[in-house]
Amino acid sequence: MAMNDPAHASWKRYVPLILAAIVILVPLAVPSRYILRTLVNIFFFAALGCAWNIIGGYAGQLSLGHSAFVAMGAYPTALLLLNLNIPPWIGFIPGVVLALIAAYLLGHLVFGLRGPYLALSTLAFAEIVHILLLHFRDQTGGSLGVTIPFGGTSVWKLQFASEQPYYYICLGLLGFCLYVTHRIHNSRMGYYLQAIKENQDAAENLGINLSGNKVKALMISAALTALMGGFYVAYFYYIDPDSVAGSDLSIKILLVAIVGGVGTVWGPVVGACILVALTEISNYLFGSGRAGVSLVIYAIILVIVVLFSPRGLIALLPKGSRSYRSE
Amino acid sequence: MREASCPPHVSFCNPGRARNSCRGRSGRAGGEVRVGRKGEIYTTTLIQSIVNGLMMGGVYALIAVGLTLIFGVMNVVNFAHGEFVMLGMVLTYLLHHYLGWDPGLSILLVIPIMLGVGALIQKTLISSVIGQADEAQILLTLGLSVLLTNAVLLIMGPDYLSVKTPYKLSVVALGPVLFSVPRLIAFFVGLVFSGILWLFLNRTNLGKALRAVAEKPEVATIMGINPKRMHWLAFGIGISLAAGAGSVLTPFFYTFPSVGGMFVLIAFVVVVLGGMGNIPGAILGALVIGITESLTAQFVALDLAMLGVFILFVLVLVFKPAGILGKGKLY
Repeated sequence: MAMNDPAHASWKRYVPLILAAIVILVPLAVPSRYILRTLVNIFFFAALGCAWNIIGGYAGQLSLGHSAFVAMGAYPTALLLLNLNIPPWIGFIPGVVLALIAAYLLGHLVFGLRGPYLALSTLAFAEIVHILLLHFRDQTGGSLGVTIPFGGTSVWKLQFASEQPYYYICLGLLGFCLYVTHRIHNSRMGYYLQAIKENQDAAENLGINLSGNKVKALMISAALTALMGGFYVAYFYYIDPDSVAGSDLSIKILLVAIVGGVGTVWGPVVGACILVALTEISNYLFGSGRAGVSLVIYAIILVIVVLFSPRGLIALLPKGSRSYRSE
Repeated sequence: MREASCPPHVSFCNPGRARNSCRGRSGRAGGEVRVGRKGEIYTTTLIQSIVNGLMMGGVYALIAVGLTLIFGVMNVVNFAHGEFVMLGMVLTYLLHHYLGWDPGLSILLVIPIMLGVGALIQKTLISSVIGQADEAQILLTLGLSVLLTNAVLLIMGPDYLSVKTPYKLSVVALGPVLFSVPRLIAFFVGLVFSGILWLFLNRTNLGKALRAVAEKPEVATIMGINPKRMHWLAFGIGISLAAGAGSVLTPFFYTFPSVGGMFVLIAFVVVVLGGMGNIPGAILGALVIGITESLTAQFVALDLAMLGVFILFVLVLVFKPAGILGKGKLY
């Protein structure tokens, strides 16, 4: 809203630049591999939250099955790399195409449904992908998953011994997701989506093509999610149905966006910082064997956010930074 | 009859993780019967498979009637429903482990406890999102589900726990068809409790008051019914039935923190199939889903059992979103 507000113009110009400079210079100043890994995790979840936000936040179509799109990006990338030696930066393309097709079909199938029906059918969709990945174990490795061997640093295969290259790749991907969200936020389509979220019937009466816009939003969201699935393969070297197609991942993606702030460009970044930081702190305090602790805390935060601050934690930021959220 | 020597939890398909453990061991339960001609074997396999599905369906019915009751009265879709099945299983396990109680006895304690827990959760958490946008309730109950799963994970650890009853491996044979005793008990408990709920809603004043709130909350209020109390009651009954289903599941199903995830999905499918808020629909839907699951496991592939269920789900959503018996109001 403050886009055209002259009082905030000077603010707006410098804060992002300073932040961007800090983020870009961090890997050069911080030698700690652990901190960089944590930051890559933050970027990764922020990007996924951002992608989810397009359909779940702006259009208000709660998807509980986004991990299916991560898997659609991850599996082709991993299998092409493993079997045909095709590098991830080419290998992610079939995955994105697959996700686009799946999103198109799924959208036409389920966007006639609303509220709980829609949430349930997306949940079932992800479960179907999960079951199929487990079933076709000759192709996908079943529950054992796919492991990518590390063959030494190679720019061609996007394999690096150090953490810095991944940091910049993931930062770039997050930047891309934020850019897409920002463009949608200020476009005609963005307003359509927000109108759909507020009141579908009213939006339809105004002549907005409901299913067309929703399907388009889901396709963009799915493509970005699949792109991050490709990055997952390049970064973690290992995928299995539980980690990339499980409901845990779907819920984490959704939590990042909801806790940060639905329907805002920067909300998922805030959400990801909190999620990843919490996970790390609880792993430090309780040991990673007690994996439940961080999720317990996170679930409590989610409940508090739903009850007391439905616009997410970003809405609690001081007024000066208002320009980063939508009103 | 080689099945008789197999523990019941591996001889049929279980949803959830336990599925992996049965792969390859006795996957095609009826396929090993080597008597008579081919057609005879096929018929026996088919009947056995339907029987297995029906028995599991009885348990699904008990889980699903609770879910559909909560939806019918409060218009809330409880994404944490499976976690209450899990809590019922954990309570039953603890009672068995420390006091040696049989699950059949535990259920009599589990149900009243969960009735209170449900009323408390309704009063403190769910009541503030009733009447709000769908997203708020979905996210709140989803948060509750993540919270309960991980709290139990934290306290109990991730191990698969089993309740060993003396009748765990007992089988009753009716001709060539075998009935596993713990499953038979679960089936009857499921149907009896679902039936009691139906009688309660139709024959008692309190039940009628619940239905009144489900149908016309404003009118019910004018008639002197306190809708808030009815909401406590509905949520309490709903989750205590789910926990009761958990109790009877323990003799043949592993107890672990994330076991609820699979049951909640099945319960959703059942409820949508039967029409949301429709109790006879939920019972019928549960039996249909139980059979679908069992037949897919038997004749397609063991690990695709849930796929059959989800495909049925998608078909219902697309072609008959109001369910097979239509949107009912709890009768």
